[in-house]
Amino acid sequence: MSYKPNEGAMMAYLYGELEGSEKGKFEQYLLTSAEARMELEKLKGLRSVLSHVQDKEVIAPPIFIDSNTSKRNSFFQSTTFKTIIGIAASLLLLMMVGKMTDTRVQFSGNEFTMSFGEVRTQPEERVVEVPTGLTANEVQAMINNSLADNNQVVQTSLDESQKKLNESIRMNLVANSKKVDENLKQASLASQEQIQQYVSSLQTGNMEVMKDYFKMTSNDQKQYIEDLLVDFAKYLQQQRNDDLMFMQARLNNLEQNTDVFKQETEQILSSIITNANVKQTTRN
Amino acid sequence: MHAETLLDIAMMHSDALVERAKQGDQNAQGKLVQLWYKRIYNFGFKFFHDHDLAMEATQKTFISMCKNIASLQDSGRFKSWVYTIAVNYCREETRKMKVSRSLSFDKVWNPEAESSPKWDSASHRHQNPEKQFQQGELSEILQEALAALNEDQREVVIMKEYEGLKFREISEVLNISENTVKSRMYYGLDTLRKILEKKNITKETIHYEL
Repeated sequence: MSYKPNEGAMMAYLYGELEGSEKGKFEQYLLTSAEARMELEKLKGLRSVLSHVQDKEVIAPPIFIDSNTSKRNSFFQSTTFKTIIGIAASLLLLMMVGKMTDTRVQFSGNEFTMSFGEVRTQPEERVVEVPTGLTANEVQAMINNSLADNNQVVQTSLDESQKKLNESIRMNLVANSKKVDENLKQASLASQEQIQQYVSSLQTGNMEVMKDYFKMTSNDQKQYIEDLLVDFAKYLQQQRNDDLMFMQARLNNLEQNTDVFKQETEQILSSIITNANVKQTTRN
Repeated sequence: MHAETLLDIAMMHSDALVERAKQGDQNAQGKLVQLWYKRIYNFGFKFFHDHDLAMEATQKTFISMCKNIASLQDSGRFKSWVYTIAVNYCREETRKMKVSRSLSFDKVWNPEAESSPKWDSASHRHQNPEKQFQQGELSEILQEALAALNEDQREVVIMKEYEGLKFREISEVLNISENTVKSRMYYGLDTLRKILEKKNITKETIHYEL
Protein backbone atom coordinates (compact mmCIF):
# COMPACT_ATOMS: atom_id res chain seq x y z
CA MET A 1 0.00 0.00 0.00
CA SER A 2 2.82 2.34 -0.76
CA TYR A 3 0.83 3.98 -3.58
CA LYS A 4 -2.10 6.11 -2.52
CA PRO A 5 -3.61 7.93 -5.47
CA ASN A 6 -4.93 11.42 -4.90
CA GLU A 7 -8.18 12.89 -6.18
CA GLY A 8 -6.40 14.08 -9.29
CA ALA A 9 -5.43 10.60 -10.32
CA MET A 10 -8.95 9.42 -9.69
CA MET A 11 -10.30 12.14 -11.93
CA ALA A 12 -7.77 11.46 -14.62
CA TYR A 13 -8.59 7.76 -14.56
CA LEU A 14 -12.30 8.46 -14.56
CA TYR A 15 -11.96 10.48 -17.73
CA GLY A 16 -9.43 8.15 -19.30
CA GLU A 17 -6.56 10.55 -19.18
CA LEU A 18 -4.26 8.48 -17.01
CA GLU A 19 -1.51 6.96 -19.08
CA GLY A 20 1.34 4.54 -18.95
CA SER A 21 2.74 3.50 -15.60
CA GLU A 22 0.41 5.80 -13.72
CA LYS A 23 -2.56 3.99 -15.15
CA GLY A 24 -1.09 0.62 -14.29
CA LYS A 25 -0.37 1.71 -10.75
CA PHE A 26 -3.88 3.03 -10.32
CA GLU A 27 -5.45 -0.18 -11.62
CA GLN A 28 -3.28 -2.17 -9.23
CA TYR A 29 -4.44 0.02 -6.42
CA LEU A 30 -8.06 -0.47 -7.43
CA LEU A 31 -7.66 -4.22 -7.16
CA THR A 32 -6.49 -3.88 -3.59
CA SER A 33 -8.83 -1.18 -2.41
CA ALA A 34 -12.55 -1.90 -2.35
CA GLU A 35 -13.13 1.62 -1.10
CA ALA A 36 -11.54 3.09 -4.20
CA ARG A 37 -13.57 0.77 -6.41
CA MET A 38 -16.75 1.91 -4.68
CA GLU A 39 -15.79 5.50 -5.16
CA LEU A 40 -15.06 4.97 -8.81
CA GLU A 41 -18.37 3.23 -9.33
CA LYS A 42 -20.22 6.06 -7.69
CA LEU A 43 -18.47 8.56 -9.88
CA LYS A 44 -19.22 6.55 -12.99
CA GLY A 45 -22.86 6.39 -11.93
CA LEU A 46 -22.87 10.11 -11.44
CA ARG A 47 -21.37 10.63 -14.87
CA SER A 48 -24.06 8.52 -16.46
CA VAL A 49 -26.68 10.57 -14.65
CA LEU A 50 -25.05 13.80 -15.70
CA SER A 51 -24.98 12.68 -19.29
CA HIS A 52 -28.75 13.08 -19.39
CA VAL A 53 -28.46 16.80 -19.67
CA GLN A 54 -29.58 17.65 -23.15
CA ASP A 55 -27.84 20.10 -25.33
CA LYS A 56 -30.05 22.91 -26.33
CA GLU A 57 -30.44 23.38 -30.02
CA VAL A 58 -29.52 26.85 -31.04
CA ILE A 59 -29.13 28.46 -34.40
CA ALA A 60 -26.13 30.65 -34.73
CA PRO A 61 -27.18 34.12 -35.74
CA PRO A 62 -25.24 35.45 -38.66
CA ILE A 63 -22.19 37.18 -37.32
CA PHE A 64 -20.24 38.90 -40.05
CA ILE A 65 -17.92 40.90 -37.95
CA ASP A 66 -14.28 41.11 -38.64
CA SER A 67 -11.97 43.62 -37.13
CA ASN A 68 -11.83 45.83 -40.20
CA THR A 69 -15.52 46.24 -40.83
CA SER A 70 -16.35 46.67 -37.21
CA LYS A 71 -13.78 49.39 -36.88
CA ARG A 72 -14.98 51.05 -40.04
CA ASN A 73 -18.59 50.82 -38.96
CA SER A 74 -17.93 52.26 -35.57
CA PHE A 75 -15.89 55.00 -37.16
CA PHE A 76 -18.60 55.83 -39.65
CA GLN A 77 -21.18 55.88 -36.91
CA SER A 78 -19.16 57.94 -34.49
CA THR A 79 -20.27 61.49 -33.82
CA THR A 80 -16.78 62.77 -34.61
CA PHE A 81 -17.01 61.37 -38.09
CA LYS A 82 -20.48 62.82 -38.58
CA THR A 83 -19.35 66.23 -37.38
CA ILE A 84 -16.34 66.18 -39.68
CA ILE A 85 -18.45 65.11 -42.62
CA GLY A 86 -20.94 67.85 -41.80
CA ILE A 87 -18.26 70.50 -41.70
CA ALA A 88 -16.68 69.17 -44.87
CA ALA A 89 -20.02 69.19 -46.66
CA SER A 90 -20.76 72.76 -45.66
CA LEU A 91 -17.26 73.84 -46.72
CA LEU A 92 -17.76 72.10 -50.02
CA LEU A 93 -21.08 73.87 -50.45
CA LEU A 94 -19.44 77.22 -49.68
CA MET A 95 -16.70 76.47 -52.19
CA MET A 96 -19.26 75.49 -54.83
CA VAL A 97 -21.21 78.70 -54.30
CA GLY A 98 -17.95 80.61 -54.37
CA LYS A 99 -16.97 78.96 -57.62
CA MET A 100 -20.33 79.62 -59.21
CA THR A 101 -20.50 83.26 -58.18
CA ASP A 102 -16.79 83.70 -58.92
CA THR A 103 -16.05 84.99 -55.47
CA ARG A 104 -12.56 86.26 -54.74
CA VAL A 105 -11.34 86.92 -51.28
CA GLN A 106 -7.97 88.56 -50.88
CA PHE A 107 -6.00 89.66 -47.91
CA SER A 108 -2.90 91.57 -48.85
CA GLY A 109 -1.12 93.93 -46.53
CA ASN A 110 -3.82 95.54 -44.47
CA GLU A 111 -6.39 95.22 -47.19
CA PHE A 112 -9.13 92.64 -47.15
CA THR A 113 -10.99 92.38 -50.42
CA MET A 114 -13.97 90.26 -51.26
CA SER A 115 -15.37 90.49 -54.74
CA PHE A 116 -17.71 88.73 -57.06
CA GLY A 117 -16.72 88.36 -60.67
CA GLU A 118 -13.66 89.91 -62.27
CA VAL A 119 -11.28 91.73 -60.01
CA ARG A 120 -11.05 95.36 -61.04
CA THR A 121 -7.61 96.64 -61.68
CA GLN A 122 -8.31 100.00 -60.13
CA PRO A 123 -7.55 99.10 -56.55
CA GLU A 124 -4.26 97.66 -57.63
CA GLU A 125 -3.30 100.87 -59.50
CA ARG A 126 -4.08 102.92 -56.47
CA VAL A 127 -1.95 100.65 -54.45
CA VAL A 128 0.84 101.20 -56.94
CA GLU A 129 0.43 104.96 -56.91
CA VAL A 130 0.67 105.39 -53.23
CA PRO A 131 4.33 104.74 -52.74
CA THR A 132 5.66 107.29 -55.34
CA GLY A 133 8.26 108.80 -53.09
CA LEU A 134 6.31 111.31 -51.09
CA THR A 135 7.80 111.81 -47.70
CA ALA A 136 5.74 112.55 -44.68
CA ASN A 137 7.09 116.08 -44.52
CA GLU A 138 6.14 116.79 -48.11
CA VAL A 139 2.70 115.49 -47.53
CA GLN A 140 2.50 117.60 -44.42
CA ALA A 141 3.68 120.64 -46.37
CA MET A 142 1.18 119.99 -49.12
CA ILE A 143 -1.56 119.63 -46.61
CA ASN A 144 -0.47 122.83 -44.91
CA ASN A 145 -0.33 124.71 -48.22
CA SER A 146 -3.70 123.60 -49.33
CA LEU A 147 -5.06 124.38 -45.91
CA ALA A 148 -3.55 127.90 -46.02
CA ASP A 149 -4.93 128.49 -49.53
CA ASN A 150 -8.24 127.25 -48.50
CA ASN A 151 -8.21 129.45 -45.42
CA GLN A 152 -7.34 132.51 -47.50
CA VAL A 153 -10.08 131.93 -50.00
CA VAL A 154 -12.54 131.33 -47.30
CA GLN A 155 -11.38 134.45 -45.45
CA THR A 156 -11.69 136.72 -48.52
CA SER A 157 -15.07 135.43 -49.46
CA LEU A 158 -16.15 135.83 -45.89
CA ASP A 159 -14.92 139.43 -45.80
CA GLU A 160 -16.66 140.28 -49.04
CA SER A 161 -19.92 138.85 -48.06
CA GLN A 162 -19.60 140.57 -44.70
CA LYS A 163 -19.13 143.95 -46.37
CA LYS A 164 -22.02 143.42 -48.75
CA LEU A 165 -24.21 142.41 -45.96
CA ASN A 166 -23.32 145.41 -43.86
CA GLU A 167 -23.97 147.81 -46.75
CA SER A 168 -27.27 146.39 -47.63
CA ILE A 169 -28.34 146.44 -44.01
CA ARG A 170 -27.34 150.09 -43.66
CA MET A 171 -29.17 151.14 -46.84
CA ASN A 172 -32.25 149.31 -45.86
CA LEU A 173 -32.18 150.86 -42.46
CA VAL A 174 -31.88 154.40 -43.80
CA ALA A 175 -34.64 153.94 -46.35
CA ASN A 176 -36.95 152.35 -43.89
CA SER A 177 -36.42 154.94 -41.19
CA LYS A 178 -37.21 157.80 -43.62
CA LYS A 179 -40.44 156.24 -44.69
CA VAL A 180 -41.46 155.58 -41.17
CA ASP A 181 -40.73 159.20 -40.17
CA GLU A 182 -42.90 160.60 -42.99
CA ASN A 183 -45.73 158.33 -42.22
CA LEU A 184 -45.56 159.28 -38.61
CA LYS A 185 -45.63 163.04 -39.37
CA GLN A 186 -48.60 162.74 -41.72
CA ALA A 187 -50.44 160.71 -39.27
CA SER A 188 -49.89 163.15 -36.40
CA LEU A 189 -50.94 166.18 -38.49
CA ALA A 190 -54.03 164.74 -40.01
CA SER A 191 -55.58 162.97 -37.19
CA GLN A 192 -57.31 165.72 -35.09
CA GLU A 193 -59.31 167.43 -37.84
CA GLN A 194 -60.20 164.21 -39.55
CA ILE A 195 -61.67 162.81 -36.41
CA GLN A 196 -63.76 165.86 -35.76
CA GLN A 197 -65.02 165.84 -39.34
CA TYR A 198 -65.74 162.22 -39.14
CA VAL A 199 -67.64 162.50 -35.90
CA SER A 200 -69.76 165.46 -37.13
CA SER A 201 -70.56 163.73 -40.35
CA LEU A 202 -71.63 160.75 -38.37
CA GLN A 203 -73.85 162.93 -36.17
CA THR A 204 -75.60 164.62 -39.09
CA GLY A 205 -76.06 161.32 -40.83
CA ASN A 206 -77.65 159.90 -37.76
CA MET A 207 -79.95 162.90 -37.34
CA GLU A 208 -81.18 162.68 -40.92
CA VAL A 209 -81.88 159.07 -40.58
CA MET A 210 -83.82 159.68 -37.40
CA LYS A 211 -85.83 162.53 -39.01
CA ASP A 212 -86.73 160.45 -41.98
CA TYR A 213 -87.74 157.66 -39.76
CA PHE A 214 -90.01 159.82 -37.61
CA LYS A 215 -91.59 161.47 -40.64
CA MET A 216 -92.29 158.19 -42.20
CA THR A 217 -93.77 156.73 -39.10
CA SER A 218 -96.06 159.76 -38.38
CA ASN A 219 -97.38 159.72 -41.94
CA ASP A 220 -98.08 156.10 -41.72
CA GLN A 221 -99.89 156.54 -38.46
CA LYS A 222 -102.09 159.40 -39.79
CA GLN A 223 -102.99 157.41 -42.83
CA TYR A 224 -103.81 154.41 -40.75
CA ILE A 225 -106.03 156.31 -38.32
CA GLU A 226 -107.84 158.07 -41.17
CA ASP A 227 -108.51 154.79 -42.82
CA LEU A 228 -109.71 153.42 -39.60
CA LEU A 229 -112.13 156.31 -39.02
CA VAL A 230 -113.51 156.11 -42.54
CA ASP A 231 -114.05 152.44 -42.23
CA PHE A 232 -115.82 152.85 -38.95
CA ALA A 233 -118.15 155.54 -40.37
CA LYS A 234 -118.94 153.34 -43.29
CA TYR A 235 -119.73 150.54 -41.03
CA LEU A 236 -122.09 152.63 -38.89
CA GLN A 237 -123.91 153.92 -42.00
CA GLN A 238 -124.41 150.42 -43.27
CA GLN A 239 -125.70 149.28 -39.95
CA ARG A 240 -128.33 152.13 -39.85
CA ASN A 241 -129.47 151.34 -43.36
CA ASP A 242 -129.91 147.71 -42.50
CA ASP A 243 -131.87 148.55 -39.39
CA LEU A 244 -134.15 150.87 -41.32
CA MET A 245 -134.74 148.27 -43.98
CA PHE A 246 -135.60 145.78 -41.32
CA MET A 247 -138.07 148.16 -39.64
CA GLN A 248 -139.71 148.88 -42.99
CA ALA A 249 -140.16 145.20 -43.68
CA ARG A 250 -141.66 144.56 -40.23
CA LEU A 251 -144.10 147.43 -40.63
CA ASN A 252 -145.23 146.18 -44.05
CA ASN A 253 -145.72 142.76 -42.63
CA LEU A 254 -147.83 144.15 -39.75
CA GLU A 255 -149.98 146.19 -42.21
CA GLN A 256 -150.68 143.12 -44.32
CA ASN A 257 -151.65 141.09 -41.27
CA THR A 258 -154.20 143.75 -40.13
CA ASP A 259 -155.67 143.87 -43.62
CA VAL A 260 -156.15 140.11 -43.64
CA PHE A 261 -157.69 140.24 -40.19
CA LYS A 262 -160.16 142.98 -41.31
CA GLN A 263 -161.29 140.93 -44.32
CA GLU A 264 -161.77 137.83 -42.20
CA THR A 265 -163.86 139.61 -39.60
CA GLU A 266 -165.99 141.17 -42.36
CA GLN A 267 -166.58 137.72 -43.87
CA ILE A 268 -167.45 136.26 -40.50
CA LEU A 269 -169.83 139.11 -39.76
CA SER A 270 -171.56 138.82 -43.13
CA SER A 271 -171.94 135.04 -42.70
CA ILE A 272 -173.50 135.51 -39.23
CA ILE A 273 -175.94 138.06 -40.56
CA THR A 274 -177.05 135.82 -43.40
CA ASN A 275 -177.47 132.94 -41.02
CA ALA A 276 -179.80 135.01 -38.76
CA ASN A 277 -181.95 136.07 -41.74
CA VAL A 278 -182.41 132.44 -42.88
CA LYS A 279 -183.55 131.36 -39.42
CA GLN A 280 -186.20 134.12 -39.21
CA THR A 281 -187.69 133.19 -42.53
CA THR A 282 -187.94 129.50 -41.75
CA ARG A 283 -189.83 130.34 -38.45
CA ASN A 284 -192.11 132.28 -40.31
CA MET B 1 -22.28 11.05 -24.53
CA HIS B 2 -21.04 12.87 -27.59
CA ALA B 3 -22.17 11.11 -30.62
CA GLU B 4 -19.72 11.57 -33.43
CA THR B 5 -21.82 13.82 -35.53
CA LEU B 6 -20.64 15.52 -38.66
CA LEU B 7 -20.48 18.69 -36.67
CA ASP B 8 -18.17 17.15 -34.11
CA ILE B 9 -15.92 15.78 -36.79
CA ALA B 10 -15.79 19.12 -38.47
CA MET B 11 -14.88 20.71 -35.16
CA MET B 12 -12.09 18.28 -34.60
CA HIS B 13 -10.56 19.06 -37.96
CA SER B 14 -10.98 22.77 -38.05
CA ASP B 15 -7.30 23.64 -37.97
CA ALA B 16 -7.24 24.62 -41.64
CA LEU B 17 -10.34 26.72 -41.09
CA VAL B 18 -8.73 28.44 -38.11
CA GLU B 19 -5.66 29.11 -40.20
CA ARG B 20 -7.72 30.77 -42.92
CA ALA B 21 -9.74 32.74 -40.38
CA LYS B 22 -6.47 34.02 -38.97
CA GLN B 23 -5.57 35.35 -42.41
CA GLY B 24 -8.76 37.43 -42.26
CA ASP B 25 -10.96 35.14 -44.34
CA GLN B 26 -14.45 36.23 -43.32
CA ASN B 27 -15.98 33.14 -44.80
CA ALA B 28 -13.81 30.93 -42.61
CA GLN B 29 -14.62 33.03 -39.59
CA GLY B 30 -18.30 32.65 -40.33
CA LYS B 31 -17.91 28.92 -40.59
CA LEU B 32 -16.06 28.78 -37.29
CA VAL B 33 -18.90 30.66 -35.68
CA GLN B 34 -21.41 28.23 -37.14
CA LEU B 35 -19.32 25.27 -35.95
CA TRP B 36 -18.78 26.44 -32.42
CA TYR B 37 -21.91 28.41 -31.72
CA LYS B 38 -23.89 25.52 -30.30
CA ARG B 39 -21.08 24.35 -28.03
CA ILE B 40 -20.39 27.79 -26.63
CA TYR B 41 -24.08 28.52 -26.20
CA ASN B 42 -24.59 25.28 -24.31
CA PHE B 43 -21.58 26.00 -22.17
CA GLY B 44 -23.11 29.38 -21.37
CA PHE B 45 -26.53 27.89 -20.80
CA LYS B 46 -25.22 25.35 -18.33
CA PHE B 47 -23.19 28.04 -16.65
CA PHE B 48 -26.07 30.50 -16.23
CA HIS B 49 -29.04 28.20 -16.60
CA ASP B 50 -30.56 31.16 -18.43
CA HIS B 51 -31.12 31.52 -22.16
CA ASP B 52 -30.73 35.28 -22.43
CA LEU B 53 -27.51 35.47 -20.49
CA ALA B 54 -26.13 32.51 -22.43
CA MET B 55 -27.00 34.19 -25.73
CA GLU B 56 -25.42 37.42 -24.58
CA ALA B 57 -22.20 35.75 -23.54
CA THR B 58 -22.11 33.59 -26.67
CA GLN B 59 -22.52 36.50 -29.03
CA LYS B 60 -19.91 38.52 -27.24
CA THR B 61 -17.60 35.54 -27.35
CA PHE B 62 -17.87 35.18 -31.09
CA ILE B 63 -17.61 38.88 -31.79
CA SER B 64 -14.44 38.90 -29.74
CA MET B 65 -13.26 35.74 -31.45
CA CYS B 66 -13.62 37.27 -34.91
CA LYS B 67 -11.90 40.44 -33.84
CA ASN B 68 -8.95 38.78 -32.17
CA ILE B 69 -8.41 35.57 -34.05
CA ALA B 70 -5.47 37.12 -35.90
CA SER B 71 -3.63 37.35 -32.60
CA LEU B 72 -4.04 33.60 -31.93
CA GLN B 73 -0.58 32.14 -32.33
CA ASP B 74 -1.09 28.39 -32.23
CA SER B 75 -4.00 27.14 -34.32
CA GLY B 76 -3.98 23.89 -32.33
CA ARG B 77 -4.95 25.77 -29.24
CA PHE B 78 -8.03 27.33 -30.83
CA LYS B 79 -10.39 25.28 -28.69
CA SER B 80 -8.98 26.33 -25.34
CA TRP B 81 -8.66 29.87 -26.66
CA VAL B 82 -12.36 30.05 -27.54
CA TYR B 83 -13.32 28.66 -24.15
CA THR B 84 -11.07 31.18 -22.45
CA ILE B 85 -13.00 33.97 -24.11
CA ALA B 86 -16.30 32.31 -23.27
CA VAL B 87 -15.37 31.84 -19.62
CA ASN B 88 -14.29 35.45 -19.36
CA TYR B 89 -17.57 36.72 -20.79
CA CYS B 90 -19.56 34.37 -18.57
CA ARG B 91 -17.74 35.71 -15.52
CA GLU B 92 -18.34 39.25 -16.72
CA GLU B 93 -22.05 38.63 -17.11
CA THR B 94 -22.18 37.14 -13.63
CA ARG B 95 -20.50 40.23 -12.23
CA LYS B 96 -22.95 42.49 -14.04
CA MET B 97 -25.84 40.45 -12.73
CA LYS B 98 -24.56 40.80 -9.18
CA VAL B 99 -24.04 44.53 -9.58
CA SER B 100 -27.43 45.20 -11.05
CA ARG B 101 -29.07 43.09 -8.33
CA SER B 102 -32.08 42.63 -10.53
CA LEU B 103 -34.05 39.45 -10.62
CA SER B 104 -34.57 37.75 -13.90
CA PHE B 105 -38.19 37.64 -14.91
CA ASP B 106 -37.96 33.88 -15.23
CA LYS B 107 -36.96 33.66 -11.59
CA VAL B 108 -39.78 35.81 -10.31
CA TRP B 109 -42.37 34.10 -12.42
CA ASN B 110 -41.94 30.41 -11.98
CA PRO B 111 -42.56 28.96 -15.42
CA GLU B 112 -42.81 25.42 -14.15
CA ALA B 113 -45.79 26.30 -12.00
CA GLU B 114 -47.68 27.76 -14.92
CA SER B 115 -46.61 26.31 -18.17
CA SER B 116 -47.60 22.96 -19.49
CA PRO B 117 -44.99 20.25 -20.02
CA LYS B 118 -42.40 21.27 -22.46
CA TRP B 119 -43.78 19.69 -25.57
CA ASP B 120 -42.01 22.14 -27.77
CA SER B 121 -38.66 20.89 -26.58
CA ALA B 122 -39.52 17.44 -27.90
CA SER B 123 -37.72 17.85 -31.16
CA HIS B 124 -37.56 14.14 -31.81
CA ARG B 125 -41.20 13.39 -32.25
CA HIS B 126 -40.70 9.78 -33.13
CA GLN B 127 -39.47 9.12 -29.60
CA ASN B 128 -41.73 8.23 -26.79
CA PRO B 129 -43.23 11.51 -25.60
CA GLU B 130 -43.30 10.42 -21.99
CA LYS B 131 -39.68 9.51 -22.10
CA GLN B 132 -38.99 12.78 -23.82
CA PHE B 133 -40.76 14.62 -21.05
CA GLN B 134 -38.96 12.74 -18.32
CA GLN B 135 -35.72 13.33 -20.11
CA GLY B 136 -36.48 17.02 -20.19
CA GLU B 137 -37.41 17.04 -16.56
CA LEU B 138 -34.27 15.22 -15.54
CA SER B 139 -32.23 17.57 -17.64
CA GLU B 140 -33.84 20.46 -15.81
CA ILE B 141 -33.03 18.96 -12.41
CA LEU B 142 -29.44 18.35 -13.41
CA GLN B 143 -29.13 21.91 -14.64
CA GLU B 144 -30.35 23.16 -11.30
CA ALA B 145 -27.85 20.96 -9.53
CA LEU B 146 -25.10 22.40 -11.71
CA ALA B 147 -26.23 25.90 -10.92
CA ALA B 148 -25.87 25.09 -7.21
CA LEU B 149 -22.11 24.56 -7.61
CA ASN B 150 -19.79 27.45 -7.01
CA GLU B 151 -18.48 29.20 -10.05
CA ASP B 152 -14.99 27.65 -10.11
CA GLN B 153 -16.27 24.11 -9.85
CA ARG B 154 -19.09 24.74 -12.27
CA GLU B 155 -16.73 25.94 -15.00
CA VAL B 156 -14.52 22.90 -14.62
CA VAL B 157 -17.37 20.39 -14.48
CA ILE B 158 -19.08 21.80 -17.55
CA MET B 159 -15.88 21.94 -19.59
CA LYS B 160 -14.82 18.47 -18.57
CA GLU B 161 -18.10 16.61 -18.49
CA TYR B 162 -20.02 18.30 -21.26
CA GLU B 163 -17.50 20.04 -23.47
CA GLY B 164 -15.01 17.19 -23.35
CA LEU B 165 -11.92 19.30 -22.81
CA LYS B 166 -8.84 17.59 -21.50
CA PHE B 167 -7.59 18.55 -18.05
CA ARG B 168 -4.58 20.13 -19.74
CA GLU B 169 -6.82 22.27 -21.91
CA ILE B 170 -8.94 23.34 -18.97
CA SER B 171 -5.83 24.37 -17.09
CA GLU B 172 -4.88 26.49 -20.10
CA VAL B 173 -8.31 28.04 -20.29
CA LEU B 174 -8.46 28.94 -16.63
CA ASN B 175 -4.74 29.58 -16.35
CA ILE B 176 -4.41 27.32 -13.30
CA SER B 177 -2.49 24.11 -12.67
CA GLU B 178 -3.81 20.80 -13.85
CA ASN B 179 -3.92 19.54 -10.28
CA THR B 180 -6.14 22.41 -9.25
CA VAL B 181 -8.42 21.58 -12.15
CA LYS B 182 -8.66 17.95 -11.08
CA SER B 183 -9.25 18.93 -7.49
CA ARG B 184 -12.05 21.30 -8.47
CA MET B 185 -13.48 18.59 -10.67
CA TYR B 186 -13.42 16.13 -7.85
CA TYR B 187 -15.12 18.40 -5.38
CA GLY B 188 -17.56 19.53 -7.99
CA LEU B 189 -18.60 15.98 -8.72
CA ASP B 190 -18.77 15.27 -5.01
CA THR B 191 -21.11 18.17 -4.43
CA LEU B 192 -23.24 17.17 -7.38
CA ARG B 193 -23.51 13.65 -6.10
CA LYS B 194 -24.67 14.85 -2.71
CA ILE B 195 -27.25 17.18 -4.24
CA LEU B 196 -28.59 14.47 -6.51
CA GLU B 197 -28.69 11.88 -3.74
CA LYS B 198 -30.79 14.28 -1.73
CA LYS B 199 -33.23 14.31 -4.63
CA ASN B 200 -32.94 10.53 -4.84
CA ILE B 201 -31.54 10.60 -8.33
CA THR B 202 -28.94 7.93 -8.95
CA LYS B 203 -27.98 5.79 -11.87
CA GLU B 204 -30.32 3.07 -10.66
CA THR B 205 -33.41 5.19 -10.09
CA ILE B 206 -33.05 6.80 -13.46
CA HIS B 207 -32.77 3.56 -15.30
CA TYR B 208 -35.69 2.23 -13.39
CA GLU B 209 -37.77 5.17 -14.33
CA LEU B 210 -36.70 5.16 -17.90
